[in-house]
Amino acid sequence: MATEQLLPETIRTAVGLPDTVLGQGIAAFVGAFLVGSVMLAYTGVAGPWAKRKITAAFTDRIAANRIGPFGLGTIPADALRLLSKELIIPEDVDRPAYDLGPLIVAGSALLGFAVIPMGGLGPLNIQLADPESGLVYVFAVASIATLGLTMAGYASSNKYSMLGALRAIAQNVAYEIPLVLTGASVVLFTQSLQMSEIVAVQQETLVTIAGVSIPSWFAFVNPFAFALFMIANLAEVGRNPFDIPEAPTEIVAGYQTEYSSVYFVLIYLGEFLHIFLGGAIIATLFLGGAAGPGPESIGFLWFTAKIWGVFLFTQWARSAVPRVRIDQLIEIGWKGMLVLSFANLLLTALLVGVIA
Amino acid sequence: MSVEETEETPEIEAGVTVEDEVLDTLGDTVQTTEEHLNADASVVVRPDQVQDTLSALRDDMGYDHLSCVTAQEYEDRYESIYHMKQYDDPTQEVSVVVPASKDEPISQSAEPVFRTADWHEREAYDLVGINYEDHPDPRRILLPETWQGHPLGQDYDQDSPQIVTLSEWDNPLRDDHVDDEADTMFLNIGPHHPATHGVLHVKTVLDGETVADVDPDIGYLHRCEEQMCQNGTYRHQIMPYPDRWDYVSAGILNEWAYARAAEDLADIEVPEYAQVIRTMSAELCRIAAHMLALGTFALDVFGDFTATFQYAFRDREVIQNILEDLTGQRMMFNYFRLGGVAWDLPEPREEFFEKTRDFLEELPAKLEEYHDLITGNEIFQLRCVDTGILEPEVAKSYGATGPVARASGIDYDLRRDDPYGYYDELDWDVVTEDGCDNFSRVIVRMQEVEESAKIIEQCVDLLEEWPEDDRTIQSNVPRTLKPDADAETYRAVEAAKGELGIYIRSDGTDKPGRFKIRSPCFSNLQTLGEMSEGEYIPDLIASLGSLDIVLGEVDR
Repeated sequence: MATEQLLPETIRTAVGLPDTVLGQGIAAFVGAFLVGSVMLAYTGVAGPWAKRKITAAFTDRIAANRIGPFGLGTIPADALRLLSKELIIPEDVDRPAYDLGPLIVAGSALLGFAVIPMGGLGPLNIQLADPESGLVYVFAVASIATLGLTMAGYASSNKYSMLGALRAIAQNVAYEIPLVLTGASVVLFTQSLQMSEIVAVQQETLVTIAGVSIPSWFAFVNPFAFALFMIANLAEVGRNPFDIPEAPTEIVAGYQTEYSSVYFVLIYLGEFLHIFLGGAIIATLFLGGAAGPGPESIGFLWFTAKIWGVFLFTQWARSAVPRVRIDQLIEIGWKGMLVLSFANLLLTALLVGVIA
Repeated sequence: MSVEETEETPEIEAGVTVEDEVLDTLGDTVQTTEEHLNADASVVVRPDQVQDTLSALRDDMGYDHLSCVTAQEYEDRYESIYHMKQYDDPTQEVSVVVPASKDEPISQSAEPVFRTADWHEREAYDLVGINYEDHPDPRRILLPETWQGHPLGQDYDQDSPQIVTLSEWDNPLRDDHVDDEADTMFLNIGPHHPATHGVLHVKTVLDGETVADVDPDIGYLHRCEEQMCQNGTYRHQIMPYPDRWDYVSAGILNEWAYARAAEDLADIEVPEYAQVIRTMSAELCRIAAHMLALGTFALDVFGDFTATFQYAFRDREVIQNILEDLTGQRMMFNYFRLGGVAWDLPEPREEFFEKTRDFLEELPAKLEEYHDLITGNEIFQLRCVDTGILEPEVAKSYGATGPVARASGIDYDLRRDDPYGYYDELDWDVVTEDGCDNFSRVIVRMQEVEESAKIIEQCVDLLEEWPEDDRTIQSNVPRTLKPDADAETYRAVEAAKGELGIYIRSDGTDKPGRFKIRSPCFSNLQTLGEMSEGEYIPDLIASLGSLDIVLGEVDR
């Protein structure tokens, strides 16, 4: 898979652009535009529709069912509604930080998708770039969002926003480290930070039970690391039991209290993109990327199913699990998750050292 | 004065009435005694001896529950009435009447003796105009600070303009809230906030995430309920109002509070059949109210759109349907009448019984599910156990009642201790927990739902077998009720939130001379500071939720 052509290259050769910096640039731009649009489309489905339907199923309700089949028509209607609302900018906000915050939140998540191998769709291999340091890059850009949240919260000139921003920083610092450490334990197996390489390693068969061969996805190889990563990811995307930075019943809406209209949409968009990016990282690191039954050309569908699976998980947690308190969150992060993820890293290192 | 040295035991010897005991304990403090319909003794004391009197009654005779403070203005004087009870036996009641002069209505504050007097006296000052000496916080409570006049006073001019703008009297956003020196932060929680359960404004001072000080600001939902009741006739015009106090489907419990007081005042009998219907419908309301309390508490601890909240509302809906069949209304029932209820069970009766029984049958499984979802959840326990601690002694001092008191181990339930309706004929238990924390308050409510279900089941059994020729739903009550002038009573029932008491003084007309509502939420809400100071913001929110206040009842 690693040898396969990346998406921009495919586009360039298909359209016949020259192999120059300009040609590559245009092709990369088109490719990024396509991938970005797909992800935004997922978010568009998730935000106004899927989220409602999923929560409704958990909480014994019906939710959107008025416009179109299954209420799907609510998506354009909601998009129009959200975008046409009045943009209220409070008097004392600190611009341009106030305006940049939402852009950074949404933008940083989109950047992460650049290196995610999303599998094949027909003749295409959907991956924009495959640098050797792919995993480091994706963790790095994902955490830029914290900067956006901080700017949003601090510049809003609202005490609830500031509390939310402080909580967001505390939470992200506490959970980013376990997240990266657990990711590192996967790297110990793959000996590579390159995303396509990480996926490729997982394609081998782990065991065969009664004719069914189980692939060596890291979720099967190291379920402990998988569980740790899922939990840390919940904190990273701020869903129950870790939706502390927003905590609507405590601090109204946290860092996004003062945002309305388009800015509000951007922040929400960013949140959902982050959930999907989290899903993409989990799929790549632990669930064999785009692997699944059937030909490689439908890999993208499997990839989509996996990231939506993670999305479903976050919504489930949101519907059923209480929120922990801020001090408990920090305690779980520093005293629990950090210790466990170090233990996981050490054990994995030992294991890999003994086997190899 | 030898009051402090008096060493009396509260036991009543043969031939000695409670009044004698009280007079003996209080000595010369008492000026005269008065007639009160249900208090064993009603003593009049000088306005500068309030603290001595109350502490003597509390320490020497065990009157440890300052249930209600009623203030009123007469032609020639002001009067504050401290109605005291015992937590161990609420049928032991004493009224301490404190007259104050018309020109200079100054009376000693009872706050140093009973913390609950703080808010009660603020309300008395606000609405009637009595000034309390020694009061630690003599502000208005329901009306804005710039209000002109005291609405329940006699010379109050309703037509005089009240020009009160927020920025003129207390702009919560004004700059001087920012103290550059201090490390603390002032935060307005409410009046528009997702977790205040209505329009409550909690002025909070934070030290980081820790709550340093809370000051609940109430009155946003003040609708002059007492005054409206004073302008209605006993027989029909008052009964619709109680539904609007604790308006979250606890209406029938509130109606009973008025019914009990008025029936006591006018000496009206209630047929046994009607008592059973009353008991059943009241307990249905209690379950509905507790379901709502559970659901909204889950909102506070879980976050929005959680399964528990929706489940609780789904199950509450079943009760609402039953109550709708019975009363014709879903929330504002107006079902009780003085001397009985408005109408008999709906025909066909079998269908009604079946519906009710179906609900009772499904209830245990549903409660089991709640226990799995809520109380069995470890994160929930992490959040609620040992947070929002309310020690029993503190709770008593604040006059806390209902599930809040019972979760602090105070075994106090008027249905059993001061029986009314049909409760003393039925087999059920009072639930108490010793945890004193948010978790206990949830557990108490959930167990009370089970007990209420037991009561309803027995009532349905009784009603099913009730002989057809003995189904009197109302006794004969005169069309116009005019209780004797100056007859007064204070009667309370166990509402969903605790002791809901009504003080009525008759002035000889067909409308009450003074109508005072003792709201359980009003007293319970006062404990918020005790519970949450020194804890985190999320605990403050959880504690507020566990108090289960309804602002309609707090503000009245």
